[in-house]
Amino acid sequence: MEDPAELAGDILNTHLEEWRRGGGRIVGYTCVATPREIMDAAGILPYRIRALGKPERELADAHLSRFNCGFCRACLQLGLEGTYDFLDGLVENNGCDHLRGMFEDWVYAKRPGFFHYLRVPHIVSEVSLEFFAEELELFREALGRHFQVEITDASLKEAMERNNRTRESLRELFSLREGERPALTGRQALAVILLESSLPPAAFEEYLARFLEKSRGNEVKGYRARLLLAGSATDELELVGEIENVGGLVVCDALCYGTRAFWNLPRLAGDPIHALAEAYLKHLLCPRMFDDYHTRLDYILRAAERAKAEGAVLVYNKFCDLHGVENVRLRMDLEEAGIPVLVLEKEYGSGADLGRIRTRIQAFLERIGG
Amino acid sequence: MAEGSSATTRKGAEGLFERVESLVEVAMLLPHGMSDEEVEGLLRVLPPDTSRSMRALLCPRFRDVSLDFIKMLGGWVQELRRAKEEGRKVVLIPFNFPPEVVYIFRNAIPLTSEVMTTLGVSVLEGQGERYWDHAMGLGIPDYLCSSSTIELGSILTGRDFQPDIIVQSAPGACDANSKIHEFVSLHMGIPQVILEKPTEATSRGRELHRRYFLALIRRLEEMIGEELDEERMRGVLEEANRASDLYYELYDLRKFSPCPVPNIFSIFTYGTRFTRWGRPQATEMMRRMVELSRRRREEGAYPADEEVARCMWLYIGYYFDFLGFFNWMEERGITYLNDILSLCQPLHVDTTSRESMLAGLAEACFEYPMTRQIGGDSMSLSWIEEMCQFIRDLDANCAIYSGHHACKQTWSIINQVRREITKRTGTPVLCLQGDSWIRRMTPTSVLQEEISSFVDNVVARRKRTRARA
Repeated sequence: MEDPAELAGDILNTHLEEWRRGGGRIVGYTCVATPREIMDAAGILPYRIRALGKPERELADAHLSRFNCGFCRACLQLGLEGTYDFLDGLVENNGCDHLRGMFEDWVYAKRPGFFHYLRVPHIVSEVSLEFFAEELELFREALGRHFQVEITDASLKEAMERNNRTRESLRELFSLREGERPALTGRQALAVILLESSLPPAAFEEYLARFLEKSRGNEVKGYRARLLLAGSATDELELVGEIENVGGLVVCDALCYGTRAFWNLPRLAGDPIHALAEAYLKHLLCPRMFDDYHTRLDYILRAAERAKAEGAVLVYNKFCDLHGVENVRLRMDLEEAGIPVLVLEKEYGSGADLGRIRTRIQAFLERIGG
Repeated sequence: MAEGSSATTRKGAEGLFERVESLVEVAMLLPHGMSDEEVEGLLRVLPPDTSRSMRALLCPRFRDVSLDFIKMLGGWVQELRRAKEEGRKVVLIPFNFPPEVVYIFRNAIPLTSEVMTTLGVSVLEGQGERYWDHAMGLGIPDYLCSSSTIELGSILTGRDFQPDIIVQSAPGACDANSKIHEFVSLHMGIPQVILEKPTEATSRGRELHRRYFLALIRRLEEMIGEELDEERMRGVLEEANRASDLYYELYDLRKFSPCPVPNIFSIFTYGTRFTRWGRPQATEMMRRMVELSRRRREEGAYPADEEVARCMWLYIGYYFDFLGFFNWMEERGITYLNDILSLCQPLHVDTTSRESMLAGLAEACFEYPMTRQIGGDSMSLSWIEEMCQFIRDLDANCAIYSGHHACKQTWSIINQVRREITKRTGTPVLCLQGDSWIRRMTPTSVLQEEISSFVDNVVARRKRTRARA
């Protein structure tokens, strides 16, 4: 079967082309706070925008600036040069300052056919949950109106059931890398997550089932240390590949292009909109949420404990305020808990940065005795 | 607390607050009506950084009003100290939170982090760099906002004046500001209260915000240990309303050409708005600025032969060199009309009832500068619209964006803001780049060069061309 990293290495894959040829619609989003189920229920393919480490920024930089996160600049570059023209619409939310700017510039320059702003509160309370549920209702209406499709409670429940199944399989797969004998690499795990949000649901379910089957009984060998990888938007297969090339095996993560997208989400049941609002807002493990640091810390500590991680690498893209500050406190708390930490600031997608990163990972592995 | 123990605390002071406190204590003794010779004598004994800022502040054109400003802020610093000693709560607030919300409590006083940073940067030898460096030493990224990180860096040393409560009101409007306040709360164990401002400026968004605001008030009541008193609230808000009236008078005076309002009054305006609004000291300060500007208008006083540029600063200014910035521009005929902060447009609060006052305060939070523009669904939309309106209203002939490097939100949309402003108003826009509170990034000389080139080659030339036509 095709290696997930190869399949995930392209923005547009054969399954998507087939989906489009069959009249299927695709809507792009970036933030994990966006309930995919609502798009799925409308028969729309929710595509999670990524940049896959793209280094070019010329078009984007005519809008964004060099003080903005490289991930957002790279995504905007792809949007402006037409790579994402296959999308039938965009969903923005207020994930972070850079993301907001990226969407604003994208919409200003390209005027997409469908654009929706999904507002996500930054705190969890009864009032904010009520507001978020209303937001999801507005999102459902906007999608239905634009794409001329009725998104019923029944279709939502069906989509929730399908996504529940996928998440359970993903949890099973990711558990395989946490065990005594890890069955897959961190690079493969990242690739699977990237595939989840870039394949039609049925195609992904089928692929995941086969990959899971293949992985059972597999064992990755020859690594020097088991690592946890956490931090900001990291969809760079090459970066994880570099960490693993020098001997660190990423056995667990707390990335938004990683377990944070599915691990803690409960099985969704009951009134669909309220269930989605609760699940997505209450389990949003992102430093853009406030009054919630200890939940995020606990999540990382539990992951590290489950996977017996010998060290943690906390990455962040240069200019990311959210993770840049969060990582300072996390480093202190993880080290106090006995987990050695490497904080790694990176220039997103920069090949020139890889040599420096390699050296720092090697030094870290030496430090933790790997 | 006895005078002696206060002095003991400040002896060998290392923190930003305490060092500022020591300096303002002396500065508050300076009398009105100082002669140029007396000022020169004073400047000679001060350390270079302090002397340079004092030279800017004690410029003869507005010397006495500067002294009032120093005294107002000095009084604030002293009151913070007294409050702490008396067991009242010191509430650390960011600049985008109205201080009158704290003043409505008898047992609390606001400490505005960005104003304290600005004070430190302007009056301390070595400016605020050592506190910034301390924060960097903990691992805080170097692209964070110096406006908050300098004062908070000092708090993080654990050897400076400590607040009792942190109010945080920037989630969703500024990640840098929100995260550093959260970090200080976690690191120093200071309880934090959060006010989120929804991005949506509709009745729905405002209603959500009102509910968040009422929850914040309830939390503050618990933490301060005091139930709100309607009469006190009314007193504070009536005082705030008086200051607001004067604010609009000052705004109108800026419409005259040459502008009778000294450039440095923009920072005096928000220095007052962000610290003392709702207290008589703020009203008095606004009155003093209005009076002097009115007198200058009557006399036709302007420090240059001609007002070459009427400049709208689209965002903020630079605060590490008052002399090389505000005064330097003014003496070259470049008027600093306003910026996003001095365009704070305070609201008149209806003081009829407790409910109307709380609703007015919630509205004041929602409509605070930067929060209302950059914290909107679209970060650029109301920013562009408001700036275009102000440019027309104040008859600006150019605009400048300071490009404070930590403001990723504005950096992410400035290209469209620049394009739209030029398209809609015909006003040329200069985009600078630097750190508004740290001189290391772009020195004053470079900023001056860029501003001069822009004014000489674009603004003045256009003006000449138009005059010929």
